[in-house]
Amino acid sequence: MKIAVMQFPGTNCEHETLVSVRTAGMEGEIFRWNRPEQELSQFDGYIIPGGFSYQDRVRAGAIASKEPVMDALREEAASGKPIIGICNGFQILVESGILPVPGEVSMALAQNVMVQGKKIVRRGYYCAWTTLRHEADPGRCAGSFLIDKGALLQVPIAHAEGNLVTVRDGLVQEMNDQGQVVFRYCDWQGRILKEFPVNVNGSTENIAGICNPEGNVLGMMPHPERAYFAWQLPSSDPRKKVEAPGPGRMIFESMKRYIEVSR
Amino acid sequence: MKINLRVWLVIPDAEAATVKNTLVRRLGYADVLKDVRKERLFSIEVEETDDPLELAGRFARELVNENKESYLASVDSLKFDDGFVPVKVGLHIEDGEAISVMNRLVHRLGLTMVRGVEKATIWKLYLQTPDKEAVAREIAERLLINPNKDRYQILPTSKD
Amino acid sequence: MKIIGLDDPEVKSSLRSAGVGMSVQEARSIAEVLGRDPTLPELFNYDAMWSEHCSYKSSRATLREFLPTDGPNVVMGPVEDAGIVAIDDQWCVVISHESHNHPSQILPNEGAATGIGGIVRDVNCMGAKVVATADPLRFGNTFGPEANKARWVAEGVVDGIWQYGNALGVPIMAGDVVFNESFDFNCLVNVVAIGVVKKDEIIRSRAPPGAGENNYDVILVGKPTDASGLGGVIFASEALREEEEEANRGAVQIPDPFLKNVLFKANEDLFRLVREEGVEIGFKDLGGGGFTCASSEMGAAGGFGMELDLDLMHTAGDFPPEVLCIAETQERFLIISPRSQRERILQIYNQDWDLPNVYEGARASVVGRVTTHENYVVKHKGQKVIDVPIQHLTGGIRYQRESKPRIIKLAEPAVDMPADLNQVMLKMLGSPNIASREHIYRYYDTEVQGNAVIRPGEADAGLIAPVRGEKFGVALAVDSNPFYGRISPYWAGATAVAECMRNVAAIGAVPSTLTDCLNFGNPEKPEAFWEFRESVRGLADSAKNLWLKGYPNQPVAIVSGNVSFYNEAPGGSIDPSPVIACVGIIKDVNKAVTMELKSPGNRIFLLGPRFDELGGSEYYRVIWGETGANVPQVRFELERSMVYTVIDAIDQGLAVSAHDISNGGLAISAAEMALADPARFGLDLEVQGSGDRRLRSDKLLFSESSGFLVEVTPSAREEFLKLAGRYGLQPVDLGSVIGERRMVLHRDGKKLVDLDLDEARKAWTGGLVEAMR
Repeated sequence: MKIAVMQFPGTNCEHETLVSVRTAGMEGEIFRWNRPEQELSQFDGYIIPGGFSYQDRVRAGAIASKEPVMDALREEAASGKPIIGICNGFQILVESGILPVPGEVSMALAQNVMVQGKKIVRRGYYCAWTTLRHEADPGRCAGSFLIDKGALLQVPIAHAEGNLVTVRDGLVQEMNDQGQVVFRYCDWQGRILKEFPVNVNGSTENIAGICNPEGNVLGMMPHPERAYFAWQLPSSDPRKKVEAPGPGRMIFESMKRYIEVSR
Repeated sequence: MKINLRVWLVIPDAEAATVKNTLVRRLGYADVLKDVRKERLFSIEVEETDDPLELAGRFARELVNENKESYLASVDSLKFDDGFVPVKVGLHIEDGEAISVMNRLVHRLGLTMVRGVEKATIWKLYLQTPDKEAVAREIAERLLINPNKDRYQILPTSKD
Repeated sequence: MKIIGLDDPEVKSSLRSAGVGMSVQEARSIAEVLGRDPTLPELFNYDAMWSEHCSYKSSRATLREFLPTDGPNVVMGPVEDAGIVAIDDQWCVVISHESHNHPSQILPNEGAATGIGGIVRDVNCMGAKVVATADPLRFGNTFGPEANKARWVAEGVVDGIWQYGNALGVPIMAGDVVFNESFDFNCLVNVVAIGVVKKDEIIRSRAPPGAGENNYDVILVGKPTDASGLGGVIFASEALREEEEEANRGAVQIPDPFLKNVLFKANEDLFRLVREEGVEIGFKDLGGGGFTCASSEMGAAGGFGMELDLDLMHTAGDFPPEVLCIAETQERFLIISPRSQRERILQIYNQDWDLPNVYEGARASVVGRVTTHENYVVKHKGQKVIDVPIQHLTGGIRYQRESKPRIIKLAEPAVDMPADLNQVMLKMLGSPNIASREHIYRYYDTEVQGNAVIRPGEADAGLIAPVRGEKFGVALAVDSNPFYGRISPYWAGATAVAECMRNVAAIGAVPSTLTDCLNFGNPEKPEAFWEFRESVRGLADSAKNLWLKGYPNQPVAIVSGNVSFYNEAPGGSIDPSPVIACVGIIKDVNKAVTMELKSPGNRIFLLGPRFDELGGSEYYRVIWGETGANVPQVRFELERSMVYTVIDAIDQGLAVSAHDISNGGLAISAAEMALADPARFGLDLEVQGSGDRRLRSDKLLFSESSGFLVEVTPSAREEFLKLAGRYGLQPVDLGSVIGERRMVLHRDGKKLVDLDLDEARKAWTGGLVEAMR
């Protein structure tokens, strides 16, 4: 079982993502953007890690989405192989028209807007640990295949543009109905509060991660590879000192399980 | 009245170079696209004033980084030379940066005559093709905007 | 350019009209050594190489006189771009520390970004993976007469740092910020970067042995050379005058984190290639002094000469030779390598990592060769434009500057005992220099690389676990107090070292090495030079006397540093600012502790007697608008004992949290432990302290004498006291952690403070937001 960790110029999370892939028991390698795209078909799954591909020029993810390797990934997505886009990887999947519905760019990840008491208190880049509530049924999505519905996961974010917006009428309702909303930002008790700091970036309905209708492609703004080990947790989390898996590990183990099951 | 500040880099514009590279190498415009340049546009709505260009100069002191940028100010109208298609791209959702610029001008610098700030990017597409506007629209929709947050407009040039 | 035979005013006028900043004497000495009139490119090259920034011409003698640069764990002292100390038998930490003050005052965003960009190159070029940065910042008073400018600078600098650091993918793990009117016209932007490398994989910044005999290639990599940044080095060494601000803008460089990100990955492939091939190369980043500085220093360090051809350089246009030589175009490196590797190296940069398509005009080009002769020779358009003795060019010059104590009137103020200490506490917690740093550090990607163990805001130092599979951690902290510097530059240096060490000790790491970035005024002014010398003496005394743990009488060595002179404003020099960074090593990251209170019922111990040391304190300044005179001192033996006690207590699991006492004193430090996330508990303390007898209560609470607060579980109490006793210390049991969100301080049964901690948290979290709005 072999995973390609995609690397564009400006990607900066490929190494820790690869560590997560390998620690979860999969093989993996970093796949540079200018390698022949035909070589992608030999992999069983794909992760587009975070960073600033092409320095977010034009828009985050816009330039990378035009690379030939993304055409190849579009085909792999259609064939049912699992793809996870993390942070900038999510932005690339959106700009490529792979998420939330194949074939069109039906949403955008706009600049973060932090709202408190209906007032904008801050904008733009923000790095902090967040709590995510898993909204999908287990088995619905390749990247959260093993996670119970309603489970809470502590995972950090670090981005300037993660605020999901769309002009397509009914898209969000459709995603809700189809179980495509995978993660929402919530407080430590699992409550979906509309305002900052719980809704950390102003995203529509606190959405932090979504999948395509088939469920094999997951895009999420938070970074599970930075929460793979318990020692990575914030110091106030009692699980930090325990030799235990971190909450982000479930994402990678889910991918592995999904591949095993779909073989 | 509206004061327009067109601001461009005098050093190499890496973003414009990347856009050109992508249009030529990835999106098949090698034959028609000769060059891409970029400007930032601030359209600042102000109360009537006798000397709007003096005011434009004060805006520029705050918004233009003279070490790497140059600018041109105009009142109310925007005029572009011929030779390229100017594509104006801005947000149709709330523009946080424009609000920040407005706050800076009004609160930090005390320029209370400012009524509103609109921010946009002008992509200047140098095209060699019979139907420049159609190609410019295609390029805008394929690369320059995400319709879920951006809108674009082809601006007139001196020839129009 | 004609020099020989002209009189001084004539030489001066032709130097100035050509834009060469050096003195007439310097120009004459060059002509004398060459035995002829130098060419214009030669003069520009010497000018860059003999600038304060490149040659340390004013500071070198003082640094040599005082600083301890060697120690049991030092792998490489301050000889190249970064210093190196051992973590264990295999791994090393690489550290570098610089300033980017003047450019940041004029163009805050680009200036600060270039600072980060330069410092990470310094670390990377030693063959290391860059794993963290820190940013000590000093801004003007954002509530003072220059508030607008100070806010503009502060906002721009923070933006520049995050936009560059986050995109590059290096976490910003430490830093400090001080606002003070002495920085109204001259901010300080210091930057620290650390990396890790295996001891046997260190790459040197010199032409390797055999390079001359075998005519090794000189390969320039990165952005095409342009004129941007021309004169940056000269600029960094001269005081800023307001009217020159416009003209000076041309001196600022334009950084590109995106290209740097790709270059770093290509460099990794280069390092792998030379490891696999078993060849030694020279590798150096291009910083101040540009192409000339990097190439001549590498040649000279290897004992060789150089022959370079500017026509082979990739450039962004047609520039005169002196521009190509000394321009400070960012994102460039220089490689010296055997010819056998040429094709593979060019392949790495030009094809594998596709530099020409990543940045227009970027690539790797062979630009010359190493020779056995002793000259530095540069050709341009077929003509030899530079031919000078390489050791003379790189040797620089020395000045013995005059030093004279600055006489300032100092007195302890006669202040009344405040009627309401709660209000005093709230005011101090909201002071921009004490308030929570969250507003800034949320812009910083502390999580990238996935190595963060302790983040900004969680403890006195940041901690990373930089190598997967290894248990060790690397801690980083920075410090300097300008208010102490104003009173005593000596104690400012000494306390900065001590506080930095306390910071890393407070998480359980052993102070391992130090760096110093010395920010002072014009060294040609005897008082400013005296401040510089005093600070160096002070910080050196601390470094020598706060021994490397486990090695009595051996210093914690200072392996890297930087001197920034000419930090001047119309009203005079900045407050003397010897900024110190300390790297600490902890053997097992799982043992590290943070500063937030852990559990009700735990005891809080005070280490460190309280003295009447409120000179330069937050209390005097914020509450009374006074500076005072009794600046905190470092009592070396006591300081060592405290630091060692805390490290051992954490290592043995006796301390569950620790926080050092510094700005704001005992009361503010205690409050911070209750205010840091998750902010769930309170404190009930009977304040008392050994030291000066019967200090008045306000002084007892707010004296900034050094010390620690340590949280200990009841069951570990006896062991902790025994441990401290072995170091000759008697910790004071102040009281306990409580479940309520209150902080109660009493003395002799009388209540001094009874603070609602939720209210206090509002003041504390809002202070910096207000100051930077």
